[in-house]
Amino acid sequence: MNEISIAVSGINAVDNPGPGVGVVRSIKEDKSLQVKVSGLAYDAMEPGIYLDWLMDRSFVMPYPSSAGADYLARLLYIKETAGLDVVIPTLDAELPFYIKNERELAGHGINTFLPDKEQFDLRSKEHLTDVADKIGLSVPPTEVVTSHSELTAALDRVGFPAMIKGIFYKAYRVHNHLEAESAFHKIVNEWGYPVLVQKIVQGDEINVIGVGDGAGESLGNMAIKKLWITDLGKIWTGVTIDNEPVNRATELFLKKYSWRGAFEIECIAAGDKIYLIEINPRFPAWVYFATGAGINLPARLLRAALGLPFERDSTYKPGRLYIRYTYDMVTDADTFQKIITRGES
Amino acid sequence: MNKLSSLALNEEGFVFDPTTGNSFTTNDIGLSIIRYLKEGKDSEEILRSLLDDFEIDSDTAQRDLIDFLAQLRVYRLFEGS
Repeated sequence: MNEISIAVSGINAVDNPGPGVGVVRSIKEDKSLQVKVSGLAYDAMEPGIYLDWLMDRSFVMPYPSSAGADYLARLLYIKETAGLDVVIPTLDAELPFYIKNERELAGHGINTFLPDKEQFDLRSKEHLTDVADKIGLSVPPTEVVTSHSELTAALDRVGFPAMIKGIFYKAYRVHNHLEAESAFHKIVNEWGYPVLVQKIVQGDEINVIGVGDGAGESLGNMAIKKLWITDLGKIWTGVTIDNEPVNRATELFLKKYSWRGAFEIECIAAGDKIYLIEINPRFPAWVYFATGAGINLPARLLRAALGLPFERDSTYKPGRLYIRYTYDMVTDADTFQKIITRGES
Repeated sequence: MNKLSSLALNEEGFVFDPTTGNSFTTNDIGLSIIRYLKEGKDSEEILRSLLDDFEIDSDTAQRDLIDFLAQLRVYRLFEGS
């Protein structure tokens, strides 16, 4: 097989890690693929830049919220200098650019494997109730508010503790009116209205990782329970599970929405009820868990993006344990200097 | 019973529920009770087996069995009587 050049973002393997390093590690473990990887970074300090056993090259990118033309030009530069057959964006904020420019990128020979705009919008927390209904899950009691007085009234009904959430981004756990007002204003200032007030459901955090083929079927999916999370709410240890209602909901999600690309479904299991909390239109940061359990989703997605044959098997053993760990490395300043002065290494 | 049949047990009393990801530890008697339940034995059969397997008097065995079944019900692992 010819060498494939790919670019992967989210290589910020920090305390709130992006999924990029796990994606690259997975792809490099598929020995039937010969892959050269460019890491896409937004800061010279992103650890992935320095993991030279994973990244062949690294490039600093303009922010995706900046002019699309600058971002596109940077990708075309990467194609010219390092080669670029497939981009795997892993950060929420990048996805609108890639979805909007999918055809243009393909015209330049840069392939992606992403949901379309309509599918992407399903992750909006406004749509979650509808999605949950269609896939047999519940949603915690939620109110949509657009003013301070509505916030107070909603909190009186929902009670404390509660989650104050933006439609797409940000969520704060609040325990009293003062905290709720502060969270409300932070979200409104950053993301505008409306804001959601959601009852906190106590239970086990169950998540599903998967890739949809765009025609209602799965390229593989796996369910886990989070055993331990950090103060930032990020998984530190987890275990694979085989939960029939969650498996059925995943299957329905793929069938009803013909989802294309990577996804993460976040749920809370409380007694007999399973609540849908969030749908993420990308790989989660714990993506390597699935690879380690035998389902290499990033490699399958890469193959799908290139039109190559891929496996669909979702067989894994419940009880496989995931443990994240920290690691220290020391290097000379050469790579850092190059990234700072040239924007690439 | 269905839930019990899917539980993974090891010799040292570690019990893993693959549906929920929850895990528990239990002593030898608890482990034996789960194994007998998985085999489809009823309470009376389990009690007789416990008396055969362990140096334990009937009252203690009965109390342990009732307590343990109640624990299993709390964790939604057992719905029988």
